[in-house]
Amino acid sequence: MHIPDGILPISVNAGGYAATAAVTWYSIRKIKQKENPREGIPKASLLTAAFFVVSWIHIPVPPTSVHLVLNGLLGALLGYYAFPAILIGLFFQAVMFGHGGLTTLGINAVIMGLPAILAYYIFRLRKLGSKESPKQDGAFDFLAGAVAVGVSVAIFVGILVTNLPADFISAAAERAAIYTMAIAHLPLLGIEGAITSLLVVFLRRVRPGILDGV
Amino acid sequence: MRIKWKVIASLIGILVLGLALPVKVFAHGASIEYEVSTVIELVATYDSGEPMAGAQFVVYAPDDPATPWLTGVCDDEGRFSFTPDSSRPGIWDIQVRQAGHGDIVHIPVGGDAVAVGGAGGYSKLQIGLMSAAVVWGSVGTALYFLRKRKA
Repeated sequence: MHIPDGILPISVNAGGYAATAAVTWYSIRKIKQKENPREGIPKASLLTAAFFVVSWIHIPVPPTSVHLVLNGLLGALLGYYAFPAILIGLFFQAVMFGHGGLTTLGINAVIMGLPAILAYYIFRLRKLGSKESPKQDGAFDFLAGAVAVGVSVAIFVGILVTNLPADFISAAAERAAIYTMAIAHLPLLGIEGAITSLLVVFLRRVRPGILDGV
Repeated sequence: MRIKWKVIASLIGILVLGLALPVKVFAHGASIEYEVSTVIELVATYDSGEPMAGAQFVVYAPDDPATPWLTGVCDDEGRFSFTPDSSRPGIWDIQVRQAGHGDIVHIPVGGDAVAVGGAGGYSKLQIGLMSAAVVWGSVGTALYFLRKRKA
């Protein structure tokens, strides 16, 4: 789901950078409003490492394969720290492995980072009920993970389909390939939801303190 | 006497014919002309090692990087080949893309440029070391912010 260099027109890449700059500024502002902004950094740093490495874990979905993203998990556990964390993870993925690119760093941060913030708000909905319900908590954990990656795929497809280059021999074939890839990502919604849910339920039992403030 | 001249004339005729014949026979020989041209063969695969079957490729000539010089589709193994125009030396750009994924390679052709082959990507050991470096950097950052401040 990382768009590499040379795929999108310059205007879209510039727009991606502008949006990323705005969201990063807003995220840092939100982080600064916390009582102790430094407190969340170790957790964010470790999850950045997880996000960076996890793109190498390929799950075969015939005829293709998809890789884990974990942006929902980052959103649920980190809140507004998730956006800068994903931005840094994407930067290292682009520089070291060529996953994505430097010109598309902004647009990729929008694709994966914005749904992470959405996941944070979905995750917070678990507190709405008057009484504590582990089942309800688990459902919102799952939703946070699944919806984040689903929205990422939707943004990814939307950007690609509206920016097909004119020099293609067959725009229809490329469009079909994009939709095939999007459908191949559907199982990932369940997988990411399950991973997020399992990990958060585990943390809730073992170290509930880590979920404080989120 | 007349008969003698006829014999001599006949002999000369045969001789001339004999000399002429081999020329005709040698005219059936083969001739080989040759021209060296460079065929560039590319294989496009994803990070996971799967071939980019059916991916579309666009080739740009060095003197006109804005207009596609050749377009086509990779086969089931992600392969395609083309013969660049040797009268246009320089860096040829080839882009392969499918479903928003893809890459660009820059291949020098003609002049002093020598390109035998190239491969992108890293070995598993390199990937492991690079990942470990970044992970260690993150752990270090976490430890730095976890340290207790001196009162």
